[in-house]
Amino acid sequence: MNLAGLRKHYGEVRAVDGVDLTIAPGEVVALLGPNGAGKSTTVDMLLGLTRPDAGAVTVFGRKPSDAVAHGAIGAMLQGGALLDDATVGEMAGLVASLHRKPLPVAEALRRAGIGDLADRRGNKLSGGQKQRVRFAVALVSDPDLLVLDEPTSAMDVGSRREFWRSMQAYTDTGRTVLFATHYLEEAEEYADRVVLMRAGRIVADGSVAQVRALAGGRTLRAVVPGVTEPAVAGLPCVTEYQVRGTRIAVSSRDSDKTLRALLDAFPTAHDIEIAAIGLEGAFLSLTADEEPVR
Amino acid sequence: MSVTYLALEIRRVLRSPRFMIFTVAFPVLLYLLYVGLWGKDPATKAVLMVNLTSFGAMAAGLFTGTRVAIERQAGWQRQLRLTPLSGGGYLAGKAATGMTLALAPVILVPLVGKVVEGVGLDSAGWLRVTLGVWLAALPFALIGLLIGQIGTADSTQPITQLVMLPMALIGGIFIPIDSMPQWLLNIAHVLPSYWLTQVGRGGVTTDLSTSLGRDALVLAAWTVVLSVAVIRRYRKDSARV
Repeated sequence: MNLAGLRKHYGEVRAVDGVDLTIAPGEVVALLGPNGAGKSTTVDMLLGLTRPDAGAVTVFGRKPSDAVAHGAIGAMLQGGALLDDATVGEMAGLVASLHRKPLPVAEALRRAGIGDLADRRGNKLSGGQKQRVRFAVALVSDPDLLVLDEPTSAMDVGSRREFWRSMQAYTDTGRTVLFATHYLEEAEEYADRVVLMRAGRIVADGSVAQVRALAGGRTLRAVVPGVTEPAVAGLPCVTEYQVRGTRIAVSSRDSDKTLRALLDAFPTAHDIEIAAIGLEGAFLSLTADEEPVR
Repeated sequence: MSVTYLALEIRRVLRSPRFMIFTVAFPVLLYLLYVGLWGKDPATKAVLMVNLTSFGAMAAGLFTGTRVAIERQAGWQRQLRLTPLSGGGYLAGKAATGMTLALAPVILVPLVGKVVEGVGLDSAGWLRVTLGVWLAALPFALIGLLIGQIGTADSTQPITQLVMLPMALIGGIFIPIDSMPQWLLNIAHVLPSYWLTQVGRGGVTTDLSTSLGRDALVLAAWTVVLSVAVIRRYRKDSARV
């Protein structure tokens, strides 16, 4: 999947302002960003629902509309997208009937964890159940690329976890997934790669660890008998430090290097803790910046 | 357009009580009422039968099309755009649903006319009243589609009423065309509902009838114009979202 120089303006608003992104088959990619960052517009262009003002989209070497017609893309759209007066089985069955090589409907429902809801009508579903039905509808064409726009909004913690379990069963078969989300822990836990958007641009792109590192690495705490302030300041990769008696707290761009140097200088250091700046910290620092970090 | 798609569409409409009332029960009951009020002679009974058959066919077409607005708002249309179903296939399916459902009044009202009210026609006449009126209802399925693509879920109801009332009144369904002054009749000639009724009317009476060829021509022209409007509107609408 390849996006090159993608732009989309709505009047004066630059919803997407030059996005380049290549996703290899088998990757699970999280698309993060605050509201209005251009995530949904990017997803719409990827799916061929919105035509870009400039730039090109190819999915498995085809135009999005062709890839869709070939059943190569399954998508779970944000909100709605279901019928009140049709049953779950009917909706999934209809979408299956339109595709050439669909999964059996019962199989798609089972994978989405709603095998028992086939006869339930759309207006009788809870918010979490609706999300699963959308997932089943996206799955039923047996696509190679699954695109999920805010897949777990309106789900409680339990059903969110269950949803991701069925999701992982799917990605274990080597399919490609792109999901936009607000929940950072989901990106942290389930994505191989994180793409951070702000104001229509990509501001960070890499593994969860890399994106975290972009925002300032990790914090190292330890009890170090005989430590002195200059010694701490002299450690490699340190960006900030605090010394209180024998306790030190150090922010480091590369905590591995810092730690090795620390242990070389003070072999008796103990109670060592290294904590990552959460993705949330990275997210906040990267999306709040006026200038893109990249 | 797939059979599963069409079957689901029809099943969904049949679940709607509004459909059953408006397009099945309403024309039949109204016909019985009108015959009770004005149907003194067989000729009037036959004309009323044509009018109410036309009304039912028109309502069925308009009503199914307007359901498009609900699907558009719910995002179902977007979801379907992510399947191999083309825009043309989607629209054709909706129009076909409207036409299939229009079969109900087109069969029921003439049946009641024959069995209950004793209307007698030759087979050519029956063919015009049933098959003829059914085919002539196509422009209304298209008008419904157009309304469904312009309106929102909330506004399609009043818009449909706003279209249906003048169509029914001035088109000669609820006000007999024999009693219309010339100027109103001139307006009536513009409306597809007038020509829809004329198709059936020609089968039961020679009063104020027009040639079937001309009826067909005018309705075909309406069909072409409305088809173009529906397709253009769909393109515009799907480019925007």
